[in-house]
Amino acid sequence: MPEVKLVNVSKRYGRIKANDGINLTIKDKEYVSVIGPSGCGKTTLIRNIAGIIHPDEGEIFIDEESVSNVPIEDRRIGYVFQNIALFPHMNIWDNITYGPHVRGLPQQQTRPLALEMLDMIKIAARSEAYPHELSGGTQQKTAVARALISDARLLLLDEPLGALDVKVRTELRYELRRLVKDLRLTALHVTHDQEEAMSISDRVVVMKKGRIVEAGTPVSLYTRPQHTFTANFVGEANFLKGIVVETTADTSVVDIGSGVQLRANRGKETVDERVIVVFRPEFAVLDKPIEVNRLSGKVMDVLYSGSIIRVMIKLPNDETIAAKRIASFDKPMYDVSESVTISVSPDNVLVYPYPEEGLKKALALE
Amino acid sequence: MGFGSKRTVSLSSFIIWCTLAAFFVLVLLPTFYLISYVFLRWPEVNREVFANPIIGDENWNQILKVLFFTFRLSLSATLFDLLFGIPLAYVLARKKFPGKSLVEDVVTLPLVIPTSGFGFATLVTWTTASGIGGVFGSSSGAISLDTLIPFINVQALLFIVHVALTFPYVVRTVETKIQSIDPTFETASRTLGASSFTTFRKVLVPLMIPGVFSGAVLAFARSLGETGATIIVSGVSSTASIAIVRWTAEFKLATASFMGSLLVIIAAAIILPVEVYLRRGKRTLRFSSHFPVSLSRQLLRLERFTSGKLARIKDFAPLIVVVVTVIVPIIVVLNSVILFWPADPYTGKLEGGVFYQLFGPANYFNHLLQATLTSIVVALISTYISMCVAIPLAFIIERRWYGSFIRSILKVPMIIPTSSLGLSVLLMWGSSGINLLSTGIWLIILTHIVFSVPVIVESIIPAYEGSDIQTYEDSARTLGATEYNATEKVSIPLVKGGIITGFILSFTRSLGETGATFVVMGRNVTVPALVVNMVEALAIPAALFTSTFLILLALIMLGLIRVATRRR
Repeated sequence: MPEVKLVNVSKRYGRIKANDGINLTIKDKEYVSVIGPSGCGKTTLIRNIAGIIHPDEGEIFIDEESVSNVPIEDRRIGYVFQNIALFPHMNIWDNITYGPHVRGLPQQQTRPLALEMLDMIKIAARSEAYPHELSGGTQQKTAVARALISDARLLLLDEPLGALDVKVRTELRYELRRLVKDLRLTALHVTHDQEEAMSISDRVVVMKKGRIVEAGTPVSLYTRPQHTFTANFVGEANFLKGIVVETTADTSVVDIGSGVQLRANRGKETVDERVIVVFRPEFAVLDKPIEVNRLSGKVMDVLYSGSIIRVMIKLPNDETIAAKRIASFDKPMYDVSESVTISVSPDNVLVYPYPEEGLKKALALE
Repeated sequence: MGFGSKRTVSLSSFIIWCTLAAFFVLVLLPTFYLISYVFLRWPEVNREVFANPIIGDENWNQILKVLFFTFRLSLSATLFDLLFGIPLAYVLARKKFPGKSLVEDVVTLPLVIPTSGFGFATLVTWTTASGIGGVFGSSSGAISLDTLIPFINVQALLFIVHVALTFPYVVRTVETKIQSIDPTFETASRTLGASSFTTFRKVLVPLMIPGVFSGAVLAFARSLGETGATIIVSGVSSTASIAIVRWTAEFKLATASFMGSLLVIIAAAIILPVEVYLRRGKRTLRFSSHFPVSLSRQLLRLERFTSGKLARIKDFAPLIVVVVTVIVPIIVVLNSVILFWPADPYTGKLEGGVFYQLFGPANYFNHLLQATLTSIVVALISTYISMCVAIPLAFIIERRWYGSFIRSILKVPMIIPTSSLGLSVLLMWGSSGINLLSTGIWLIILTHIVFSVPVIVESIIPAYEGSDIQTYEDSARTLGATEYNATEKVSIPLVKGGIITGFILSFTRSLGETGATFVVMGRNVTVPALVVNMVEALAIPAALFTSTFLILLALIMLGLIRVATRRR
């Protein structure tokens, strides 16, 4: 029944605060991902939990027991590394049985466990092979099996798919999730690939500069991010500066310059407040614009990437926004300099207070 | 254009041929000459070694005795190095702690220190009242010159000196190897439930075995050939390399060359197979160790129990070796120079003081000045000539198909015991060979070239392989440069760091070399050889001063090496 709780965990390296007062609870059998730009402290977080490093402040509880004085080897966690780290001098069988062996488990108990694991990842036939003779994907599956064989209930995954090819990466994603759910494990998965995090987890934690920005289900993070940083980091978004000109019970109207106004569902904003208006490119309707929230502009550029067409549009206020739609042959393509009109449903327009540090800094990855 | 490029192509092949010729004549030929000398003059060797009309095969018995003694010494020193060197290498490779670079410098120091000066410092430290004995209130030394270590029957003092001088080879080689091993393997092992000692045994040891082997080989070769310090602390016993020095001095050239060839052949027979094994690219050792289960479980339990408790001791105990064998002798010798400066502090006699010996009737200061001049001239000329051979040679090694072969035979001068080397150069160029030169400064230079060329080449190669030279040079060629031009304007500047390091290392090595120099120097005494002469003349205060001078010189060189390597 592993439930992991971090209370006010901080870790600094010299002048850099890699973890700065982290509070987080991972529930039993939950699959949680941590995402954030490089250097945001996500690896420090997972290494703190594993006991590879020790927090300067705060405490970590696994099943309500503090693990501050528990060395790595006694934390009963499964840890999967980005660089796989199968021991190069041992074959697959020896790698998988390493954990039970060093814990002093007798062979007659180890054997069936190992066979079960090899069966689970379907490489029983290759148990005599050495790691470098296997493909990257198989290697990482073996590493997962190795991490799980000693009955670990908590799986820590540190960019586990980062070293693999794109195709293998997407395939393994789903296998990982299935495995964790089948075995009823608790998993914490660190990645910088937001798409991977979204598709694999029950809950996603977004980090920036050693702090947690927000946490939520993939859907809520994508459709209703609480912060402009999340809106920018997860997926893609258009950011427009504006001033609230009118509010009613359930809508706000924001002037984004040159007389262009956008309606949005009402949040906490008040009249005359400086705000940032955000909407995702795929929520901009290109073909049959609805009556509200129409924006007209000039096509600056058209990018074609297989399934999707991306159109860059310059608005009368000189801001450039992106709009996306599925590519299909029965609809017209767009020409550069052509005038277009798009619309965004007020449901899909998000309003945030203008960040004190400025928009650029609020969105900055570092 | 056609004419121009044709001319430069022949220019580069001209350079290649010159380099290879110089390499063959200057570096390789002496060793082969030494071995062929034994064959060509077999009747003479046979008469002197095996069937001497007066003493029969006594010389052969001597050779056997000396060889066995040398192997006992070298082997036990190497094993001791491994025992303490591997933990220290681990700490240096994996831990961060304040003063780490200082520790690394101290560990490296014996590599640059002139060995005779260092040997003398050790001698003073252990066998006189100015050293460790005096600290504990004794009026004599802590041990005497012929105190034996039980079981291996080797003089303790010899053992200490050999450990000090070979320790850095094990530590630095294993350290580099451990640094190249991804630390994730260790973390993975820990997360899988292994204690830190179990992790060390089951994961790190198998992965670092090649590094351990090459470190041990280097240390063993170094110990086998050590002459400078050994000659000072050996007392009545004799190692193989000292026997060569002595026999050469007694003009027993046949016996000396027979011993020299034996040493070369034995060293090659031990070291080259290990080299080949390592070169074959077996990066790890796969063992299937099947302990009985109960034993293995007990071992695991023991490791788990001790991992937490002994970690600190394991981390810092090896440092004591360095402190005792390197730092203490240096401090003692510096301290003694000050104590002995005006007069012998024990008897009060002026004649026993450093000042009197340097500037009194013996006028050792003049000798020292003369020797310093000789040393510097030798080091400069030999390093310069070696650079001229080594730089093109390094490029040939990297580019031509026969390069790896050349690199392999370049190992030969590195493993030859230095006194054998001196003897081989003496035999080849001297009156019994080509008869071009007699003992003196030019022979010293020729001897130093033999070991300087490999030192410089081995410094340039990592710099070459570390920078993406082929790409830069290819782009220079596409811009219209000829091969010669691209090498001169693009590649050589790119390996500048390696060249500078090689220069300093070779210069330092030449400045401190004792064994080979002693055989070939004749009347042109270098500073390290002067220390030996002083000790033999029992001019202890003068030797103290000269040793201090050499140690300070080594510290300066170490500083220079630091600066040169840091800039890269």
